[in-house]
Amino acid sequence: MIQVGIDIIGALADRATEGGVLLPLNTALVSHHLDQALNSPLFRHAERQARFLRFVVDSALHSPESTIKEFDIGIAVYDRRSDYDPRMDPIVRVEAARLRARLREYYEVTPPEHVRIDIPKGRYVPVFIPVNGDLAVVNTDLSVLVPPFRCLSADLGDHNFCDGLTEEVLHKLAQVPGLRVITQSVAARLEQIEGPKPHYLLEASVRRAGTEIRLVLQLMELTGGGSTHFSKIYQATINEIFTTQEQLAEEIRRDISAALHIRKRVTGASTS
Amino acid sequence: MDTIIIRHLRESLALLPMENFGPANEFYRRLFELAPEVRPMFNREIGLQAKKFSEMLAWIIANLDRPDELSSEMRALGARHGGYGVTIDQYAPIGSALMWMFQHTLGDRFTPEMEEAWLEFYAFLSFEMERGAREAATTGTHP
Repeated sequence: MIQVGIDIIGALADRATEGGVLLPLNTALVSHHLDQALNSPLFRHAERQARFLRFVVDSALHSPESTIKEFDIGIAVYDRRSDYDPRMDPIVRVEAARLRARLREYYEVTPPEHVRIDIPKGRYVPVFIPVNGDLAVVNTDLSVLVPPFRCLSADLGDHNFCDGLTEEVLHKLAQVPGLRVITQSVAARLEQIEGPKPHYLLEASVRRAGTEIRLVLQLMELTGGGSTHFSKIYQATINEIFTTQEQLAEEIRRDISAALHIRKRVTGASTS
Repeated sequence: MDTIIIRHLRESLALLPMENFGPANEFYRRLFELAPEVRPMFNREIGLQAKKFSEMLAWIIANLDRPDELSSEMRALGARHGGYGVTIDQYAPIGSALMWMFQHTLGDRFTPEMEEAWLEFYAFLSFEMERGAREAATTGTHP
């Protein structure tokens, strides 16, 4: 099962995770599912528990960096005063356990269509689990920024090879369904426009010794703090330049698709 | 039910000093602090209510390994509570008062594991009671 949760990995609460890949969450779909749940008889007659669930889900969706504390729920949902001490009044812990039971009951009666909300024990931040790997819970396509590959040589021919290889890789990646490829020049223009950053950065450096090519490639998560998501060293022998570039580009396309679970995205559910 | 939860429930209840139903009296005192609106629902003298509460708690713990019987009794209890006018939201302060009773009476002897067991168990109990009240309301069979 694909593990999607807005907060499964740290405080990145507006992100879904697919096998560790950070993906943007379809907040509209989650909100719609929440409304459906809260309109069910199980929640309609349980006003505070409905408020509790709405509070934690909304907090997670709209304030992704924040953690949700027992104290906050006591104040916001159970009308406790600012001197409320959760150690003396465990009402939130009591209600969290009851809310988990209510959610279980709700999902037994009403199996979810796309996503299931869960509040794991020991925490108040909910996770959103796609039903049967339904990726409608994931919002937009993935995007990857690809700057020109760096050529670690002063040779003009090597620079031409690098430029050609970058173009070939851009072309291959642009054909991957569900992946938006952004070039350096486009990225520069996008900087003027407000909007989400690309999810990934694909960087590579190329060295040549005689007819041997060595390419070091790194795929970094931009939305997840810049950590390296995938890294590989490619080696090739130049026989015919175009063929070598195309073969390398195809290998890179396959690896990047696999690293981003692109096949699963395509054969899974449609993204909304 | 999980045997570890059962063990924690039994151990914690065994630690409660039951003379004069002291913990149960504390439970009601705390409940009326947290939810004064429920006080008029109790017609009888609180000492008697505390006795009944203690007996019910002891019965529940004695029947933990008979879940069907427990569920059935809890649903019947919930149906009666529904008849008294107890709402779903009021199960929250009841649970809080129950936890407080253990904390207040046992102090550090009420371990986090025991609290976790009671939280889990109270979720089950209150949900069964709620279900009983719902069924009684649907069928018009409030006692």
